Amino acid sequence: MTTPFTRRAAMRAGLAAVAAPTVLRYARGETPIRIGMPLALTGPAAEIGEQMRHGAEFWAKQVNAKGGLIGRPIELHIEDTTGDPATCVRKAQLVVERDDCHLLFGMVLSSEALAVVPKLAEWNAIFVSSDNGDGRLTGSSFVPNFFRANISGPMETRVISLWLRRGEMKNFYAIGMDYAWGHNSIDVFQDEVKKANKNFVGAVFSPIGTKDFSTYITKIRQAGADACFIVMQGADNNAFLSQAREYRLSDKVQLLTSIVDLNSIHAVGDASIGLVGSTRYTFTIDNPANQAFVEAWRKEYGAAPDVFEGEQWQACQILQAGIEKAGSIEADKLRPALETVAVDSIKGHVAIRACDHQAVQGGYMVKVVKQEGAKTPAPVIIATYPGDEVTPACRQMTFDS
Amino acid sequence: MEFLGFLITQCLNALSQAALLFFLGVGLTLIFGIMRIVNFAHGTFFMLGAYVGYSAVATIGNFWAALIIAPLLVGGFGAAFELAILRHLYRRDHSAFLMVTFGLTLIMGEAIRLIWGVNALEVAAPQSLSGIVFILDEPFPIYRLFLAGAGIVVAIAIWQFLDRTRLGLLIRATSQNAEMVHALGTDVRLVRSAVFGIGCGLAGVGGVLAAPLVTASLAMAPNAVIDTFVIVIIGGMGSFAGSLIGALLVAFVQVFGTYYFPDLALALMYLVMLTVLVVRPGGLLGKEA
Repeated sequence: MTTPFTRRAAMRAGLAAVAAPTVLRYARGETPIRIGMPLALTGPAAEIGEQMRHGAEFWAKQVNAKGGLIGRPIELHIEDTTGDPATCVRKAQLVVERDDCHLLFGMVLSSEALAVVPKLAEWNAIFVSSDNGDGRLTGSSFVPNFFRANISGPMETRVISLWLRRGEMKNFYAIGMDYAWGHNSIDVFQDEVKKANKNFVGAVFSPIGTKDFSTYITKIRQAGADACFIVMQGADNNAFLSQAREYRLSDKVQLLTSIVDLNSIHAVGDASIGLVGSTRYTFTIDNPANQAFVEAWRKEYGAAPDVFEGEQWQACQILQAGIEKAGSIEADKLRPALETVAVDSIKGHVAIRACDHQAVQGGYMVKVVKQEGAKTPAPVIIATYPGDEVTPACRQMTFDS
Repeated sequence: MEFLGFLITQCLNALSQAALLFFLGVGLTLIFGIMRIVNFAHGTFFMLGAYVGYSAVATIGNFWAALIIAPLLVGGFGAAFELAILRHLYRRDHSAFLMVTFGLTLIMGEAIRLIWGVNALEVAAPQSLSGIVFILDEPFPIYRLFLAGAGIVVAIAIWQFLDRTRLGLLIRATSQNAEMVHALGTDVRLVRSAVFGIGCGLAGVGGVLAAPLVTASLAMAPNAVIDTFVIVIIGGMGSFAGSLIGALLVAFVQVFGTYYFPDLALALMYLVMLTVLVVRPGGLLGKEA
């Protein structure tokens, strides 16, 4: 036995190497900042859930590489909710009670968030939303432990309506998916068209899961409108855009959309060219913070950040600023700190307001164009509206004018 | 004149839709006819076709090659599944097949999600087919003309295959009396594997052809499987001609029904199915149940 390096010795050495950083960390008393993140990672909302996960993981990695936040490492506790509100509440409770998380991200769907927010006080947890659109979360369903870092649904629609008022188009048609979201959005849009003194010539609704849109495209052509507002998502949206391109619909009608995201641009390719819509975030926003973010993101993932990746990053920046300001993650200290947080975000100046915890921020209209040398088309900004024009009054969902 | 253009283009739309539905329905009905089992995973094979087609286009860069390779792979996978699993279940009652094929849809769906991811993928139509033609001033995509043509060609090919070839003869014979065919010295088990593979391969053809219209996405399977069942029930379980008629009927009712009664779009297909079931419970060309 000349070599003392046995398997047991190797294992001991390996264990020591693995354990060392943890031991050191706890030796200095730095318990991690645990953030629970219930996300729809399977089911129809999985695309968005994946993006939010990327955004948060990227942030945690960057913060931890610089020695953590207020000297403590970030630890994400991610759970799959499948996009079901009841499961979401169960998973949120799990991360709060089992993993001792009193900070929450995630909840992809507004229905999930609406189910979770009544529990926040009981859990003594603060939830910073990065994508929940429902106006009620900062309105009738407002709770003190909820913060919305993202643009809300009413704010998105507001951006389109402001853009309409200044535009040349007169007659509008609309197509939406035949369920609550499609009908609500088109109702709001119809109102906005009328407020802008333009004509709303009609709408058609397609059942969820429609595969052939040829008939709907014929109806849109025949309506004789200058523009058609599209309220669709996921597979239906991709099928509609692909087939609209087949029939050269955009030669005749300007297509407006409620969603411009890179996923669907990638899925339909050139069929997305010419689309105009409001977007919550786009990697083409021109400011130093965003350029730095996009560059770092590309280095990590080899692609530009998508809408909800950017929105999640912004939510992380806001939480980070709040924790730094409070010097603590205790809800009672963090809440007042977050209420007055303002950051120079990837979307410019973004500030939480104390009255309803909505982050006041600018809105963007974009147009999808093919750029020199790029393989896929990209959204470029055609109009920007300041935060005070696109954010409704405190705890309101509608606009007076 | 304007109305004529509208009529012609809508009929062509319906034909192109019918072609896609037929690729799905004919496979399911062939499988049912010979094996007396309902293949719950049929929509998932359709979806697999689109994803394999996507990868084939991405690696080879040629849609036509993908249109040959993807159905072969999907059909091969179907035949392998029959050999490995279904073969052992023929003595059991029908619920075993429902559960096994339903389980297969879950496993395949999850595997596709793991391999290709959750994002929808673009499959572009070949350059030569991506243009439009004008039919009495109405624009019409060449790709849809191609779909309608492909549907007609494949329908004739399957008909000739069933009618003229020895394997076609065996398939028809097995669907009428499997024990007798077995007693006459034919390995019925091989015929079953072949039919299951062919049926899945046809769904794969449909998947590749549908991909440029709807993109390859995880929503394809659940959307497709219901349509397919409706077609096969309308046409009559196990009837080749029935699946063709079912596909045409559903496509024409969908296209014109959606145009004139958009609020009923979802219900139209089921109304046709209900009417058929009331008048002929076994389907238009099926054996009376």
